[in-house]
This record gives sequence, structure tokens and C-alpha cells, in this order.
Amino acid sequence: MTELLLWPFVAGLVLTGIHVYFGLHVLARKVVFVDLSLAQLAALGLAVAILAGHPVQSEAAYWYAFAFAIAGAVLVALVRPYEGALQQEAVIGIVYAVSAALGVLVLDRAPQGADHIKQLLVGTILTVTPQEVAQLAALYAAIGALHLLLRRPIILASFHPQDMPHRLLLLWDALFYASFALVVTSSVRVAGVLLVFCYLIVPAALAGLLASGFVARLLLGWVLGAALTAAGLIASWVFDLPTGPAVVTAFGAAMALAALLFAARRLTWRRSALLASSAAAVAGVLLLVFPQMDQPWLDALETAVPPLHTAFLNASERATRDETLQSIARAREELTRLRALEQDVRWNKVEMDAEKAERLRQYLAGKSELSAGDALVLRHLHSKARERQRFLLGLPLVAIGVCGLWALLRRRPLSG
Amino acid sequence: MLAALVAAVSPSAQAQPQRLLIITTSPDLKSLVEAVGGDDVEVESIGQPEQDPHSIEIKPGQLVRVKQAAMLVKVGLDHEPWLARLPAVSATIVDASKAVPLLQTETPRLRTERKAHTHAYGNTHYWLDPKNAWPITASILAALTDLSPAHRATFEARREAFLSHLEARLTAWQTMLAPYRGARIVVIHDSWSYFADRFGLKIVAAAEPNPGVPPSPGELAALLGRLRDSDVRLLVADPHSDPSLVRQIAEKGGVKPVTLLPSGRDYVALFDENVRRLLQALKSGQ
Repeated sequence: MTELLLWPFVAGLVLTGIHVYFGLHVLARKVVFVDLSLAQLAALGLAVAILAGHPVQSEAAYWYAFAFAIAGAVLVALVRPYEGALQQEAVIGIVYAVSAALGVLVLDRAPQGADHIKQLLVGTILTVTPQEVAQLAALYAAIGALHLLLRRPIILASFHPQDMPHRLLLLWDALFYASFALVVTSSVRVAGVLLVFCYLIVPAALAGLLASGFVARLLLGWVLGAALTAAGLIASWVFDLPTGPAVVTAFGAAMALAALLFAARRLTWRRSALLASSAAAVAGVLLLVFPQMDQPWLDALETAVPPLHTAFLNASERATRDETLQSIARAREELTRLRALEQDVRWNKVEMDAEKAERLRQYLAGKSELSAGDALVLRHLHSKARERQRFLLGLPLVAIGVCGLWALLRRRPLSG
Repeated sequence: MLAALVAAVSPSAQAQPQRLLIITTSPDLKSLVEAVGGDDVEVESIGQPEQDPHSIEIKPGQLVRVKQAAMLVKVGLDHEPWLARLPAVSATIVDASKAVPLLQTETPRLRTERKAHTHAYGNTHYWLDPKNAWPITASILAALTDLSPAHRATFEARREAFLSHLEARLTAWQTMLAPYRGARIVVIHDSWSYFADRFGLKIVAAAEPNPGVPPSPGELAALLGRLRDSDVRLLVADPHSDPSLVRQIAEKGGVKPVTLLPSGRDYVALFDENVRRLLQALKSGQ
């Protein structure tokens, strides 16, 4: 595990370091989507580089991408003084959509690069090399040092632009967006657009909820970024998931958890009771009216507490269910064994003559269809139980929900 | 179709022979149609060799040509999902897969525990076995003779000539690769089964469990572990494979990466090139 995930983790730390910092600025400036917009421009630059005959991995292609991102950065900086007439977010959105469309037009002329650019947007953090991480770290250390030296005007330009003369503001904005363009162009090459966006926004937003002051938020953002990177990578290993999307999901889960906790703080007993009654009423009505539709909440409960399902079957149905489950378990065990054997034959660990090996392969292919029959039996029993649950569970649920709502709303109207 | 037919056989067209317009979805099929049709046909391919055949966005000019065409030749199965969205065409549609013996047809909808290749009707990369040029050109020949019965003899003669040339080349390719018969290889994407079968290579694993979805760390670790204590020395990548994935497997698994071309403008040259690349990699990998 460490052999494969060490460098992705270090890459995540490097990304956290610079992106949380830029994220705090970007949130203060209310230009959340500038990152996606500049990344899309960088992808357009790559497409143009391919059209000009440079391989997608080459230095030249990187500078093309950077040049396009810088142009977008300057444009965004130029628009800021006219905020009253034209919102910066509008320009950012337009740049995003138009550069994406232009990218399609350019790739139509140079189709050999299309897949590589698609991969670039998805990112390949799992296969990042130590050299790439070292280059990123060096570049971001330099940019970080520059921003540390010039911290006063840069922070003023982001957080209190009204205190700055217009011409100076333009200068510092241009510097800010140019260094940001360089960071985005470089990060996206390694981690992909989605992951880079998460590193930029999620830790900074969470830190904004939990702490105040620039330095405190930066430190907290770094801790959160590192922890979420680790969580995403471990989830990717344990649950066997593609790495980039798993880390993105870890960031999303953290954000959702924070939102839930914030909502829970505002929850009174009365509000929780109202929510629970409404949920019971809706679930009950759905179960009564559409018993055969997917009821994920009931499925989840039945998995956790099997008697909730078996109680609605008669003795012979229960016996069938047990037999089927056993048969599926046996088949699965046998399949795992044979599949391992087939793998060993393929990899030349075990000798087997070609005809026998082919028979094994075909048997495996057919066998997995056979256990589909067992699954059908289970589905049939499941839908039988649902027909009975329809009234025995659905009616009480509706009654509980309606009575609860009636009792809660009768006393006083919903105001507090 | 009728217009094209009339144009093809009417006396006025004989003075300045009007060529049948035939559209193919891939350049490989274009090459095969030209091998049978020769000067009597004008063939255009919608897809280019560098393009992903699954996600082609058809342009207005191509749409006009499809409407004018007398015949449309497709790879078939579910290789060209975009084709289903075309408005109704009057051309004869030739499914080149019709008479081809397919591999991995049991990759079906019910097989949930095992990650199936997305193609539901079997592996679609059948043109990568030169022997499949026989059934493919047979389907093309039948459709062409229907459209232009007068040219039957010429079509048949051209097909014979092409196939005997291909047969000679195939023997040469097989002789060149004979020392490596039975070599075990790993592929990035599951598109080389037909090719491997014909040339006696054994594919032991595909790195991408599903095309376009990068492997999870667990899958990658399992593959690298298997590779290290095996005799597999060659990794076959496609031009659109993720370069960083190829590099990582090559470095950590100790295999020689080689990029083979799944599609080309000249059918015979495509195999010449692939066999050349393969030989070079096999020689240096030993």
C-alpha cells in the first residue's frame, strides 16, 4: 500500500500547501470558478500546442498551456475595476464555456490529442512520479516565498480592495492571477481539474466555517487538506476505487458532514419531531401506493436487521430463502477458487493444457450466469414480502406520521 | 440507393463512369472497401485512425455525404454508438461483423460480479486479425455486387488479388513472430484479443478494468505483484493509453512497453507497422 500511495500522498500535501492559500484569496474575492476557467484555458492551450505539432507531454505544450492561462488571468484582472457594469463571475463563466468549445474545435483538426486532454482533466494522481512531485514542490515554494514577501499588498488587494488606488489594484491583481495561472496549469497536469478544484476550495471553505483570521484559517486548512487526502487515499485502497475521484469524494463528504453539523445545531426537539413525522408519512404513503418501487431505506434496514424481512415470509419461504443464500455462498466460494486457478493458469503459475484451460474459462463465464437464477429467487421472495409489508408496515407508518404532524401542528403554528 | 444504382449502370454514366460513393465508419474498413471496389468506388471514412471510434462527433459535411452515399459500412456490434443517432439513411448498410467469428461473446449483461468490458456483444476489435479480412471483404463484395451487378467479375478478381497478397504477408508476419509464439503479454486496454490469437501471443491481463476508468490502487498493486514473479516481459498500449499509467507499469512491473496501432489508413501497412513494433520490443525485451 505505501509503495503505491506514498507519492500520491506527498503530491496531495504539496497541492494542499499552495492551494489552501490561494483558496482563501479566491473565496475572499468571490471568484470561486476562476480555477476551472483557467484550467480549461490551459487545456485549450494544450490543444493548440498539439495542433502546432508538439507532443502533449512536451515542455513546449506546457508553455502553450501556461500562456493561455496567463492571458485568461490578465483578462480577469482587467475586468475587476468594472465590477459594477460587468460581473467578474460572468467573464469567468464565459471564458470557461468558450474555451471548452474552442478546445473541441481545435481537437477536431488534431484528433490524436483528444484522449490525452481528457485524461488531463480527470488526472492521474495515482501514477505521479517523485520527479513530478519534486518539481511541483520547488515551483510552489518559490511562488509561496514571493507571496510571503509581498503579503501586505496582495492580502490588501484580496480582502480590502476599496483601500487601494485603482492603478495599483490592477497591478497586484495581475500578479495574483498570473501566479495563480501558473499554479493551476502545473497542478492540473498532475492531479486533474476536479481534484485541483477541491484542494483549492474545500479546505479553505471548511476553515472559513471553523476559524477566523487569515493565518488560523491557513493552518487549519492545511491540516484538513492533509487529513482528507489521507482519508481519500485509504478509501481508494480499502474499497478498491479509482484514486482521483475517491479523494474528491472524501473532500465532498467532509463538506457534507460540516453542513449537517451546522444544520443540527439549529435543530430543536420540535423541528426534529416534525422532520421525523413528515419522513414517516412520506415513506409510508410511498410503500402503500408503490410497494414494488425501490425503497432504499427499507432495503438498508432489512440488510441491517434481517428479521424485518424474514418476518413477512412463511415457513417454507424462509426455508427456500436459507437454501438459496447457502447455494449463493457456495457458488461464490467455488467461483473465487476457480477464478484464482484460472488466473494462475493465465500467468503460467499452474500448468494446464490449452483445451482444459479454455473449458475452465467458458465454465466460469457460464457459471456466473447460473447464480443469477438464485438471485432471481431472492428477488421474487423479496417482492412477496413487500406485498405484505405494504399494509403491515405502510399503514402504521402513515398513521405515525400523520398523528405526529397533527399533534405538533395543532398546538401552535410552525414559527419557532 | 436507387439513384446511385441508376447512376452506376445507366448508359450516360458509362461515358464518364460515375463511381459509387461509399462511407465507412473507420479507416480500416475504407481500406478494405477500396481493396474490393478499386476504381469503381469512392470511399470516405468518417473516423480517422487517431480518433476514439466510440465517441465521434459527426460534422454537417459528413452528414451530407452519408445521405448521398450508396453504401454505409460499419464495424457493427456496439462499436459506434453515435451511429444510432444519425437520421435515417437511404444507403445499404453493411455490418462488417456479420460473418466474423467473434471472441468473448459471453461478456454479458448478467455477469455482475466480474467487471465486464463495456461491449455487450463480444469484443469488437475483430479487424485486428488479418484472417477476418476474408469474411469482412465477403460482406463488402456481396453488397457491392448487389449495387452494381455489372462489375461482379472485377470486384471478385480484385478481392482475390487482395486476399492472396494479404495471405502472403500474413505468412511472412507469422514467420517473423514464430520465435515468440506463446509469449505472455499484458495489455492496457482489452482491444488486442484477435491480434494476439492470430499471432500466438497470450494476453494474461488488462490493466484498465474498464476502458477509460483508471485502475484502483488495489488492482494496480495486484497486477504489479503478478508481473514481478512472472515471465511476462511485454506491455501493449494503445496510442490513447494514459502515458503515466504505462510508464508506471513498465517501470515497476519490469515490462517493456510497446504502443500498437488499433487502426490505420492502409490495412496491410497497419499490420506491417504493428508487427515491426512488436518484433522490436520482443527482441529488446529478452
